[in-house]
Amino acid sequence: MALILLPLVFSLMAWFVPSAFTRLFGLFATGVALVWSVVAVCYFQPEEQILIDFGLRFVRFSIDSLGFTMILLTNAVFLLVYLSNFTGKIVNDRKFTALALLMQFGLLGVFTTNTILGFYIFWELTLLPIFLILYWFGSFDKPRALLQFFLYTLLGSLAMLLAVIGLMHATNQQTYEALLVADINALGNTSIWLMGGFLLAFAVKIPLFPFHTWQAETYTKAPVAGTMLLSAIMLKMALFGLLKWVLPIFDGVATDFWRWPIITLGLIGVVYGAIVAIRQSDIKTLFAYASLSHLGLIAAALMLHDDNTNQIAVVQIVNHSIVSIGLFLAAGIIEQRLGTRQMSELSGIAKVAPRFAFWFGVLTFISLSVPFTAGFIGEFFLIKALFNAHAVTGFIASTTLVLGAVYTLRAYQVPMFGPSKFASFQDLNWSEWLVFAILSVAAIYLGLAPQCLTDFVAHSLTQPTH
Amino acid sequence: MDSIIILFITGLIGLFAGMSKKPVASLLIASFGLIGAGFAAYYRGSYTSPFSSYAAFVPTQGIVIILLCAVTLLAVLGGFKRYKNDDEHTGDYFGLILFSLCGAILMAQPNDLMLFFIGLEILSIPIYVLVGIDKGSSTSAEAAVKYFFTGSFASAIILFGIALLYGATGSFQLIEIQSNLAIGIWQSPMAMIGSLFLLAGFTFKIGAVPFHFWGPDVYDGASNAVLMYMSTVVKIAGVYALVNVFGQVFRDSYFFWIDLVSLLIVISMFYGYITAWKQTSFRRLIAYSSIANAGLMLFALADIHNSNLFLFVAAYALATIALVVCNQAINDDSDHLANWEGIAWKHPLIGIALVLALFSLAGIPPLAGFFGKFSLLWSAVPHVPYTAILALIASVIGAFVYLRLLLLALKKPSVSIRIQLSAEQMLVLALTSVASIGAIYFI
Repeated sequence: MALILLPLVFSLMAWFVPSAFTRLFGLFATGVALVWSVVAVCYFQPEEQILIDFGLRFVRFSIDSLGFTMILLTNAVFLLVYLSNFTGKIVNDRKFTALALLMQFGLLGVFTTNTILGFYIFWELTLLPIFLILYWFGSFDKPRALLQFFLYTLLGSLAMLLAVIGLMHATNQQTYEALLVADINALGNTSIWLMGGFLLAFAVKIPLFPFHTWQAETYTKAPVAGTMLLSAIMLKMALFGLLKWVLPIFDGVATDFWRWPIITLGLIGVVYGAIVAIRQSDIKTLFAYASLSHLGLIAAALMLHDDNTNQIAVVQIVNHSIVSIGLFLAAGIIEQRLGTRQMSELSGIAKVAPRFAFWFGVLTFISLSVPFTAGFIGEFFLIKALFNAHAVTGFIASTTLVLGAVYTLRAYQVPMFGPSKFASFQDLNWSEWLVFAILSVAAIYLGLAPQCLTDFVAHSLTQPTH
Repeated sequence: MDSIIILFITGLIGLFAGMSKKPVASLLIASFGLIGAGFAAYYRGSYTSPFSSYAAFVPTQGIVIILLCAVTLLAVLGGFKRYKNDDEHTGDYFGLILFSLCGAILMAQPNDLMLFFIGLEILSIPIYVLVGIDKGSSTSAEAAVKYFFTGSFASAIILFGIALLYGATGSFQLIEIQSNLAIGIWQSPMAMIGSLFLLAGFTFKIGAVPFHFWGPDVYDGASNAVLMYMSTVVKIAGVYALVNVFGQVFRDSYFFWIDLVSLLIVISMFYGYITAWKQTSFRRLIAYSSIANAGLMLFALADIHNSNLFLFVAAYALATIALVVCNQAINDDSDHLANWEGIAWKHPLIGIALVLALFSLAGIPPLAGFFGKFSLLWSAVPHVPYTAILALIASVIGAFVYLRLLLLALKKPSVSIRIQLSAEQMLVLALTSVASIGAIYFI
């Protein structure tokens, strides 16, 4: 119970912390949450489930091994976000601390809830704090871009709300276990529409190709911490929803109907995101489109819905969190020190900041999915699965390896090498260095021993379905 | 019955207490009356009232009476500041509001159309006076006259509908009307036209399209203190009466009017939210938002046996009162939306209450507005699925409206000026905030 409620309690406490201690409090709160979840996972048997009930009619919780993975990921991401901004101004603001912790609570709710309405409630709950964080700390000149982000997600969410109501009416069930065994295929076309409602919400959030237009501008204008929260963990809600809820529940007619449309959109996103990323001059926008490309691949592979691919997709989800924190941190460091993100104005940073150049380089290679990193395992097996489905999809998916190399290396090489335009560039401080080191160790560890994660989540991904 | 008696007596006392030039006395008397009426409604089932022979006279459920009393209590607490220094009208304000509430309780869930009409008039007439209570202001007088004429017109339409129904069935009792209609009379032109007249009158009273046009002008002319009452209690009582009359009487002609009601829902929501988008005056914005919300309330008609109206109207009333109290704190004279810039920073309680109220109106979980909308749609979706889809699209536009207001209110000012809130205003804001979060325990 404390596992889920701790961030909420801390979030309320954050309003009363003196502003001199706000950043320490944030670090303490996210640290306690992470330690608590690590301790809990040590006592957790992967075969079992922990049930939590607060006495609410529509919201109950159960934590299985996939849920635990996501809890650990969430808590780790929040700690890393705090660490990486520890010298910045944003963590000294108690509004940010309180909202970020509220968002953490919402995310933990999404990953652990056991009822379909609870999933929707927590899904929407995360939107509220991120909206205020973007508004207060972002650099949105006009509210238009911000409203676009909010309304896109809200439109998707309302489609999901209709689908949730429809699903609850059609099956007369609300818990995950009961929905799994309910006879969805008997609904015929209705089940296709219901799944479409969920998919619209997920497609906006992931984002898939035609629904991605909010992403680049929001990422670019958001504060670094906000971008990290969005891309490292908030978008994972959609993939998690696909993996845990929608695909197992709608297994059958509806999944068969939507499989190829979604794979197509995902692969268009892979190629389109990569090509647009190559042409970007703003380093943060470039990483935003790179994110579109990477997530399209995961979404396409998830639609194949076989157990091995799902396990590997979890590895890739974790890997994408690592990569996006690292790359957006690097972009944030450049912007904070030099005041610009335009690649044409950047050059030769490596000469004046060797430590930053080294760790940014390591993260670049992790993002390129070189062997012995988690990305290699993830991309290799996901592309292989898409090859098995159809040779053409496999071929299109594998272009990400080449195109990804082009934009990632360009994003590294242009600012880092060449004649140095800047006399001084304050090198990494201890907290940024620590974040890069943790990310690199995690990615390499997962690359060497992915089975520690895949075996762990296998228990909740290989449930018998109807 | 006890509730009405308590309200009437405390209303009278409050009216005369106003002459004592001690406004707090009137407020205390009115509050005691409202709380007492709520308790009387709560305990109605468990003791034998000396008026128990009249129990059937006021069939309104205890929970609805409690809701009406609670909302009125919040409204008079929030509006007190306006009349504190206005010796001439303190007593009038409390007295008229309590008298009007008697009518609301009488009409909310009637079993007799004649009684319903009396309740409707008792509800309406004090409000005509309240809108024009600000005698010096020409907009207020204009609003009062406009509201009086259009309101009497709507009452006449309802009365005509009742007369036609009486002609078709020979009774004012809802049960008898229903049983007479059920044997096939509902297809007679007289009954059908009667039901349409009733529907038209009701849409006027709750302010849904196509009889919404009085709303913006009247809301604009009324003071914030009166607006708090008339934008909430009138709507709650009206929509409960509508659901009760249609749910009981016109059950058999469901397929005759449900398409019409669906159309009204969709047009009200789109019209209300789209027009609210460009408003520059706060009370007009609230008026258009209330038109859209009236459209949403009509969803209760889709499932007449099981209309989950309570949470939605409660959430709507709480959020609206919180917004109007905030508006009153900064904007009691000019009412320009431009004054809203940065008001969330002027007092922490205003900030919290505003964020919660606007997100609640936009329907973001886990706030009360979401659960209200959810429970309404929950029973409506199987009956009118396409209307529900259109309504959700309209809600996105609505979210636009509320977020625009929120962004305006949250804009960080260069110099932050703190404003003072009176104790009652802080109490209202705190109560509405707690209630909009606590709603999660009521689903």
